[in-house]
Amino acid sequence: MIARRRLHLAACLAVAAATGAAEPPAPQQVAAAAARKVVKIHGAGGVRGLEAYQSGILVSPDGRVVTAMSTVLDSDEIDCVLDDGRRFRATLVGVDPRRELAVLALDAADLPCFTLGDDGHAAVGTRVLALSNLFGVAVGDERVSVQRGVIAAVVPLEARRGAAEAPYTGDVYVLDCTTNNPGSPGGALVDTRGRLVGMLGKELRATTSGIWLNYALPAGEIARGVEAVLTGATEPVVGRPVPFDPRLLGIVLVPDLLDRTPPFVESVVADSPADRAGVRADDLVIAVGPRSVTTRAALELAVGAVAPGDPVRLAIVRAGAVVECDVGPRPRDAAKP
Amino acid sequence: MTVLLPPCLSCGTCRGAVASAARVALTLAASIALATTTTAAAEPTLAEEEAFRAAAARVAPAVVRIEPAGGVGTATGAEATAGASTGLVVDPDGLVLATSFAVPEDSTGAVVVLPDGKRLAATPLGRDVARGVVLLRTAALPAATTLEPVARRDLEPGQWAIAVGRGWTAAEPGVAVGVVSAVERAWGLAVQTDASVSPMNYGGPLVDIAGRVIGILVPLPADTAGMKLGTELYDAGIGFAVPLDEVLAELPRLKRGETLRPGVLGIGYRSRDRINGEPVVGSVRQGSPAARAGVRAGDRIVAVDGRPVARIADARHRFVPKHAGDEVELALEAAGEDAGAMPVRRTVRATLVETLPPWQRAVLGVITAASDDDAEAARVAWVLPGGPAAAAGVVAGDRIVSVAAVGADSVASPSPAILGGLLAGWEPGTRVRLGLDRDGATSTVEIDLAAMPAEVPDEGPPAETGGAAPAGPADGAQVVKLEGAEIAEPAVAVLPPPTRGPLPVLIHLGPPHGPVAEAEAVVWKAAVASSGVAVILPGSSDARQWSRDDVPAVVRALQSLDARRRIDPARVAVAGSAAGGSFAWLLAERLGAACRGVAVSDAPLPRQVTVESAEPGAARWILLGGREPLRARIEHDRGRLEKSGYPVGTLPDDAAGPPAALLCRWVSLLGLL
Repeated sequence: MIARRRLHLAACLAVAAATGAAEPPAPQQVAAAAARKVVKIHGAGGVRGLEAYQSGILVSPDGRVVTAMSTVLDSDEIDCVLDDGRRFRATLVGVDPRRELAVLALDAADLPCFTLGDDGHAAVGTRVLALSNLFGVAVGDERVSVQRGVIAAVVPLEARRGAAEAPYTGDVYVLDCTTNNPGSPGGALVDTRGRLVGMLGKELRATTSGIWLNYALPAGEIARGVEAVLTGATEPVVGRPVPFDPRLLGIVLVPDLLDRTPPFVESVVADSPADRAGVRADDLVIAVGPRSVTTRAALELAVGAVAPGDPVRLAIVRAGAVVECDVGPRPRDAAKP
Repeated sequence: MTVLLPPCLSCGTCRGAVASAARVALTLAASIALATTTTAAAEPTLAEEEAFRAAAARVAPAVVRIEPAGGVGTATGAEATAGASTGLVVDPDGLVLATSFAVPEDSTGAVVVLPDGKRLAATPLGRDVARGVVLLRTAALPAATTLEPVARRDLEPGQWAIAVGRGWTAAEPGVAVGVVSAVERAWGLAVQTDASVSPMNYGGPLVDIAGRVIGILVPLPADTAGMKLGTELYDAGIGFAVPLDEVLAELPRLKRGETLRPGVLGIGYRSRDRINGEPVVGSVRQGSPAARAGVRAGDRIVAVDGRPVARIADARHRFVPKHAGDEVELALEAAGEDAGAMPVRRTVRATLVETLPPWQRAVLGVITAASDDDAEAARVAWVLPGGPAAAAGVVAGDRIVSVAAVGADSVASPSPAILGGLLAGWEPGTRVRLGLDRDGATSTVEIDLAAMPAEVPDEGPPAETGGAAPAGPADGAQVVKLEGAEIAEPAVAVLPPPTRGPLPVLIHLGPPHGPVAEAEAVVWKAAVASSGVAVILPGSSDARQWSRDDVPAVVRALQSLDARRRIDPARVAVAGSAAGGSFAWLLAERLGAACRGVAVSDAPLPRQVTVESAEPGAARWILLGGREPLRARIEHDRGRLEKSGYPVGTLPDDAAGPPAALLCRWVSLLGLL
């Protein structure tokens, strides 16, 4: 094992020496090196329009593969095809349901692999290459597809697949690169130096706008996810916030007659926290803390997302100006009366 | 590394083809030089990455996040906007440009979110509807950076284009990198890019590699069927930006709160080829800016606003970017009096309008005789009792040797087609002067045109006006089956005795009951014989209902009849009641401009049928009738149709069978001039 690692290290050093310490390798060299560390995964699927394939990332020389948790893995027969064409039967080591990440093991040795490390080197504007078996176009022993792009934004994931909300709500890299394709999930995102930046995410739509998302889970989260799976310390899926009835703060909203009833204040209970904070009838609430809200339902969820005891800060439009009101700590009881 | 950066980044001011060419040459040279060593091949990659960041950073202080404010829409069901997007600060005094996505027309406001998370209320001032740009007024903003626009003429497809937005998060501008895909799109409204343009960066700037602003990213419906919002393209590698300098030029109007809408001139072209056709005016819409400016059918547009025009597409490129209220200068050439004479050139100015009033059909009140010679001067075959021509003393047999609007040049020996085209350009009430030849004696009469009558007159032209054959007795009408190669269940038709002229046709849709028997046609024979109108009686493929699937069979029946006896394209109408009436509306929609009359009773307008404004070339005469409980809905339809400019008359109760005589008289009068 140690010997292998040394060998791998030596190889890396050799590449570094060839390209010079400060100069990154050429993009085609980066792509070729990264492609050797990406596998094509074939598993369950083929029914109800679900694909039976995706991509995975080699993260240890002895065949540890990290990929996206999906229905493809719902099978006793998960196969991984390496860049050199070799096909391995994989065993599912475990899953991190919160990050929707899975770890597979292959019975192999001396494989090229990514080093899981920090993700401090990627930011908005970083040029990236995405490597994956998108659309399953890389057949047989063909090499995975390479796409180029930049990191467009770094934001918390607010997404859904169909009606189901994505369980992961931490930061992701939004990509200016069309990775929202069958087969892409689990693929590798690398920077211009070939370092692993992230793992390509699943086919999701943004919750608010409904647009398709191209995104990747940052490398740091991959490392934490793999660690959690290997140590058995996976965290449960964090529950979605429960709607909080703002009447508990003294705010009576206009009746919820429409899907998108705007959060206008109908009246304020005298001497309630809202009253003392200066909330007034006919105010239009536009944000709770940093979260913008445009509907009554969104307001109830946004207040529900404030931890009990934390301050509820409302941004309100009144007479054409924005007013901030601190309504005080959120009461514990989030249930609707 | 500095050497590898495009020169514009270092000087920031150089422009134009010289700079671009220099840039390309330099980059190329660098690439060739670097290609010799593999290690250095990555350097342009790094240099570009640096340049992308620097370009985005240059405009970032002027880029804000725009969030919808609640309160969009009302209880009637208008939807709220779909989420956050971007805005561009054009004046730190509180002027922000955003898009129709963030601030739709029914919106009363939006929220501007500054990079530090501070929220400001914003209200729309003015908007440019065609470009999808909205100007917002908000409180004074922290001093933003000065934006440097790139002129469109300095752009080249293939050059870098970076889209900047704060839709993902206010704190940090998001970037998308691509190239300029085209410099002129959507008839000159926009620049096209392959950078990822989505709701997240609508309203944000598209910048060049030096951080100069190419334009504002907008959702723009491409000139393609089925595209209404422009947001459909966000995932397609097609994005649009409207040039910043062109938007800044209209800032004063937007500041005043004006809503700039596409401008309408009111001309039709003679050519059907809307791209490469010659820019010769085919029609001038009555009451339009073109009509008021004195544009006439036959004029050739040789320049618009001083820029030469050779094809229809050239003219559209000039017209489409203009707003209602904008002035346009047209250089026109009209053919001289004599063939071979030098064309006469003149310049007119017109102020474009937002919408044209619905077209109203104006008539003299005559039916002209059919003629084998299309170029022959029109001869009056019948005069509408009580109509303008009758009041002026015109009688059947008069030949029209000249026609002119009073004060305008006259047209000599107009054929019926030319007469119809001239009438289409005149409003009811226009005074025209007709030169008449009555048995060799010429005279001139002045006639005030009337609106097309809505109600069917008690008297119509007799059958023989269509040609030479005299009106026959009822049994002169002949019942036939319209058989043809692909027709399984042929429609039954009642045909008048042959005449010289083309055949007016009524398609009558009875209650659905499968194939129509020849015996059912008997009730039409007398009306057909006296009016000269052919009646087609199609059957339904399903004995219980009319369906969309029956449309092709009816069209084939019409074609089959046209193959036997030439159909008069200006006199084809559909009629029906109840289920047949609903199908008549659908059939009329499918036939489009080929259907010149619709008569229905007890059948309200189906929801899927759209009511377009009346236009010359698609003129229709409509008759409506209805009993309780449908009367109110049908009266509502009447209002809608009248508002859209159609004459709408009354169809009597058909409890005792179809009003055959009235319907045939109506069809024969569709060609009234």
